[in-house]
Amino acid sequence: MALTQQICDNNGIIASRGNFVNTGTGPTLQPIDIGHPEYISLIDPDTAFWLLVKRNRLAEALTDKGLMKAYRKKAKEFADEMDNLRFFQRPSAVYFNPTERCNLNCSYCYIPEEMRRDGSHMTENSLLDALSRLKSYFSQTLPQGSVPQIVFHGAEPLLNRDAVFAGIDQFKNDFRFGVQTNSTLLDDKAVEFLISRDVSIGISLDAPTAAIADRTRKNWEGEGVYKKSIEAMERLKGYPNWSVICTITSENMRHLTKVVEFFHEKEAPTCLLNILRCTLQPSRKVRPDDAAAARHFLSALDRSYELYQETGRKLPVANFANILLAIIAPTARRLMCDISPCGGGRCFFALAPNGDLFPCSEFIGLPAFNGGNIFNNDIGDVLTSDAFKMVTGRKVEDVEPCKRCAIRHFCGSPCPAEAHEMNGGMDKIGGFCEFYEEQARYAFRLIADGKEEAYLWDGWDKDTKTTFNLKL
Amino acid sequence: MKTLMKNKRKAVKKDKAKKDVIAYRRSCSVEGTGLSHYILMDRKTR
Repeated sequence: MALTQQICDNNGIIASRGNFVNTGTGPTLQPIDIGHPEYISLIDPDTAFWLLVKRNRLAEALTDKGLMKAYRKKAKEFADEMDNLRFFQRPSAVYFNPTERCNLNCSYCYIPEEMRRDGSHMTENSLLDALSRLKSYFSQTLPQGSVPQIVFHGAEPLLNRDAVFAGIDQFKNDFRFGVQTNSTLLDDKAVEFLISRDVSIGISLDAPTAAIADRTRKNWEGEGVYKKSIEAMERLKGYPNWSVICTITSENMRHLTKVVEFFHEKEAPTCLLNILRCTLQPSRKVRPDDAAAARHFLSALDRSYELYQETGRKLPVANFANILLAIIAPTARRLMCDISPCGGGRCFFALAPNGDLFPCSEFIGLPAFNGGNIFNNDIGDVLTSDAFKMVTGRKVEDVEPCKRCAIRHFCGSPCPAEAHEMNGGMDKIGGFCEFYEEQARYAFRLIADGKEEAYLWDGWDKDTKTTFNLKL
Repeated sequence: MKTLMKNKRKAVKKDKAKKDVIAYRRSCSVEGTGLSHYILMDRKTR
């Protein structure tokens, strides 16, 4: 499938020589104000190609034959690269929910409350059976030597700890494992087990103080769990493969710079500052204002840069790093929420405790998106089910106003679950637009100032090659 | 007026000055599998 406009060849018919920007078969380059005093950006939305041009040289750049020739030489390659990234990937990760239950009742959880309160655990036998089926599936679909990922996810996976740990031990040579946990059950024994097996550990904490953090993350009795999270962070200190997620809500967005300072002080190797997903009604009660959230988020990024300058130690904000990568190396992105179609159902899928399969954890609890069951159906058939196609078929080109947006392949118009449930359809936008728009503009300002490496983890460019480089 | 491309040699000499045009792109095999509810970037070894 080649959705992107190719410059020269349309079934052998050449409509024009493509010598001029924005006419005929010439390159499409939209000028974008990135808020930088010296530079403006030119973006080809379809290929995700961009230039930064001094504001006073814009007209010259747009009419420069050599410059356009340099891009035209690469345009098809970049278009093919984007098509491959967007339409020809195979799943290599599973978000595996080993229990419906959670010991917390966070304000914004996307798993239905009744499921978290009264749900069931997956039995150990079923969990091992599911892992065995996944191993068999991936052995047929992934290239030899490629190791798929299993992320135990929730609800709270460590409520079913014995089964999870049995799975990790039995399949340690077959998968890379990770656990995303609310951290309340990360005691010494659990941490020792996970670290000794090199399991990646993600925890959640929304603020640097109990007074704020406990507003949204609390147990069924309404008591906050901030203290437990801090204890877990202390236990994890020094382990390179842990990270922390902060969900941005109306309750904590004013404190994001303090959040970054706190995570840095706790020596978190990486963090995510995720904007709230408004998929289910309860989460919308703490929905942050889009523009305000963007402003606070960018302040937090500024602070992460200052901390790096002050200490020499980075704290990459991974969701922003991913957007930065989407610009400078589209295929190097790790998170697949900010590309369209998103990664749900095509780069990863989610497994519910009863074996039901969904394109993404965000859809668990929405029966219309159940594509089948791992114990009853062929996984390949599930991936091509109508339920999955609703998600894998959602393209940014079909969404208004994203279809006209120059940064559509840096943002991806997330999230389909949110768009469908809150805004009424897959052709709708999600809950936040400026949050992504401002990140792209910020990223371009960093590139203009040569600061982008400070926001990326060391070694990100290992196994990458330069395919375009122009600094005039 | 000389084109921007033709000015390249001149621009190289003032390397530390801000460039008139910046554009670059890197490429690699696609390995992204992340869901934003979880991070698994590049695994470090102890």
